[in-house]
Amino acid sequence: MVEYIIRRTLQMIVVFFIFLVSSYLLFNAIPGNAFSNLLLNPNLPPDAYQKVLETYGLDKPLGERVQLYVVNFFKGDFGYSYKYFPKTPIELIAERLPRTLMLFSVVNIVAFYTGFFIGKILAWRRGSKSETWITITSVFSYTVFYPWFALMMLWFFGYKMGWFPIGKFLYPEKWYDAPFDSDVIFSMMIKFTLVVSLLQFFAYTATRGIEALSSRRNIRFASLIAIFIGSYFYWNTGEALARKPYAADIAYHMILPVMVVTIVAFAGTALLTRTTMMEVLKEDYILTARAKGISQKRIRDRHAARTALLPVVTSFIFTIVTIIDGSVLTEQIFSWPGMGQLLLQAVLEEDIPVAMAAFSFVGVFALIAHLIADISYSYLDPRIRVKSQG
Amino acid sequence: MEIDNAKEKDLQKKLRRESFKRNWKLFSQSKLGMIGLGIVSLFLILALLQPFLFLTGIWSESIYHPVVGYDQIIEEKLVVECPKEYPTPKYETSFDCPAEGEVQKKMLYLAQGVEVGDMYDVYLQPAPPSSKHILGTDSLGRDVFSQIMEGSQVAFVLGLLSATLGVGISTILGTIAAFFGGRIDAYLMRQSDLVLMLPTLPLLFIISAFAELKIWHLAVVLGVLGGLGGSVITIKSQALQVKVKPFVDSARITGGSQRKIMFSHVLPNVAPLALLFMVFSVTGAIASESVLSFLGLLNIDMSWGLMIYLSQTDGFIFSGLEYWWLILPAGLSVTFLAGGFYLVGRGLDDVFNPRLRKR
Repeated sequence: MVEYIIRRTLQMIVVFFIFLVSSYLLFNAIPGNAFSNLLLNPNLPPDAYQKVLETYGLDKPLGERVQLYVVNFFKGDFGYSYKYFPKTPIELIAERLPRTLMLFSVVNIVAFYTGFFIGKILAWRRGSKSETWITITSVFSYTVFYPWFALMMLWFFGYKMGWFPIGKFLYPEKWYDAPFDSDVIFSMMIKFTLVVSLLQFFAYTATRGIEALSSRRNIRFASLIAIFIGSYFYWNTGEALARKPYAADIAYHMILPVMVVTIVAFAGTALLTRTTMMEVLKEDYILTARAKGISQKRIRDRHAARTALLPVVTSFIFTIVTIIDGSVLTEQIFSWPGMGQLLLQAVLEEDIPVAMAAFSFVGVFALIAHLIADISYSYLDPRIRVKSQG
Repeated sequence: MEIDNAKEKDLQKKLRRESFKRNWKLFSQSKLGMIGLGIVSLFLILALLQPFLFLTGIWSESIYHPVVGYDQIIEEKLVVECPKEYPTPKYETSFDCPAEGEVQKKMLYLAQGVEVGDMYDVYLQPAPPSSKHILGTDSLGRDVFSQIMEGSQVAFVLGLLSATLGVGISTILGTIAAFFGGRIDAYLMRQSDLVLMLPTLPLLFIISAFAELKIWHLAVVLGVLGGLGGSVITIKSQALQVKVKPFVDSARITGGSQRKIMFSHVLPNVAPLALLFMVFSVTGAIASESVLSFLGLLNIDMSWGLMIYLSQTDGFIFSGLEYWWLILPAGLSVTFLAGGFYLVGRGLDDVFNPRLRKR
């Protein structure tokens, strides 16, 4: 296993190197550069454009630039943004990332659980009338044209009903004399969400071993209530109390995007779970379990759902990878200034250092996620062991 | 010998016809599949109907052409003058004046000699649905129904081409990776890593920046990107599960060749997931096209995405359902066609995967 991970890591470094060079070349294939619009200004002296290019090193031949970029990249120097000059790409990403992570981690967790739960039930109730209707609903919520749907929801809930704000992630007037900037609140909210979901996960796994259904359910319910009480005390004491109104403001702005993306995202998981689960239900060991007289619910949750989880987890891990990619559209529609908008602007304005940093951030994320997916195979399905294969 | 050959061919034909009949029977038993087939064939008819209508001259191109057609819809309206103070017996608030079928005199300052109480011809753009234009016209006086038809042609070409290409590539590569393992597997997996690392939407922006994309180009780009990316990994994970099944071992023991085992034992069992992906990628292709034309990056005259883009830039999407014929048809078409493909895939699932059939 260790040998396998080491080999994979080496391969990953090679892949990353190829990725870095090819995406740098891709950005340079776009006609023009970030400063081309200077040429349109008749008031600038003719050599100003040339001077600017020299300052940013854009006058060097392409081969030399690629070499310089890659060498500096591995030294940890990502250059400066062309558009926001004194800022480095790292600073920009550090500012934008928490906003995107907060929004989409909530969305993904909610969508994954609802999707898996619904898919499980769909497969189990095969052929019933409710199955047909839930399937049709989820198919259309999966295939709905997303920008259109988001705009319609924005119109209905934001404009017609006026329940939720249209766009932006906070009310600027509320933050006028806030003693801290929004990123502090965002990182605090992320930590809070992470701790709560970890606690819930521990409570869930700890109670897994309890055989009796009623006592297991009671203990789980009690743990949920304990978490609620704990978070209530957390937000009403000390530092968190002062930050509460600001956090509430952000949370209020999050409701509509989370709702819209969840409606679109849950169905993919549900339909995938249904397909894999139905295949698993035909396996011999399910028949064996039935013959042993194990309760139906136990067969569904322990025997079938666990094996059916394999492709679902793979697709879930890749959903996490595509958070930043997928956030491009959502953030554009809800004017949520996160990573997606940063990436989009950088690409459109040919702000190469920022775009490269954002691209490689996504890339590293994807590589690690793929490794995790491969390792998790062997835990979820003991028949597939990572042996000598790639 | 030749007679034998002919006989064999006849027999094969007969067998094929019978298996088709059997499969059709299985497919028609699935309710969802039939609903999907209905939706898809409805759009197919729409797509094919438009050239037919133009060729037979039922529709004149100058009026009904989805891109350059133009039609004036004229409505007679009563000229009124809005009161300075509200409420009056006729209007309660200032929003009620002018009411339906009325036009303010103030707006007609260019028309000479129009008095209050006259009837005045107003050109309606966008015009609401009428018997001449089933779904009305857009803000440039073009027929929306004809645009929907053109959009479904684009969607069929793009969706089917890119999905077939993508799923073909990923199924073969995924099965090869699972079946042979070792170096080939490592290479293919790293390759799909590389494709996955590139964020799709920004990548499409970059490509459209240095290449003028037409529908065909976009279909190939989307197909190749989808085929080399994440679906290879998921299909490989499915193929790995199939590979360890007993029937593969028994095929190997009875002396089946590598190729035979791969194509007739492993591949058919991977097919359901591949079908699922095919439907997913039809949806994805239609959505990507719409998003790109939404941002004006494609070299396409008319598509559903472009229609939504136009209704958004003209500000109709936030006017609620007053101009519903500009907002709903295009969005619902994307949703229904993609959903229809999905449901067809579900029906085919029952046919190709014997283990999924009804108990």
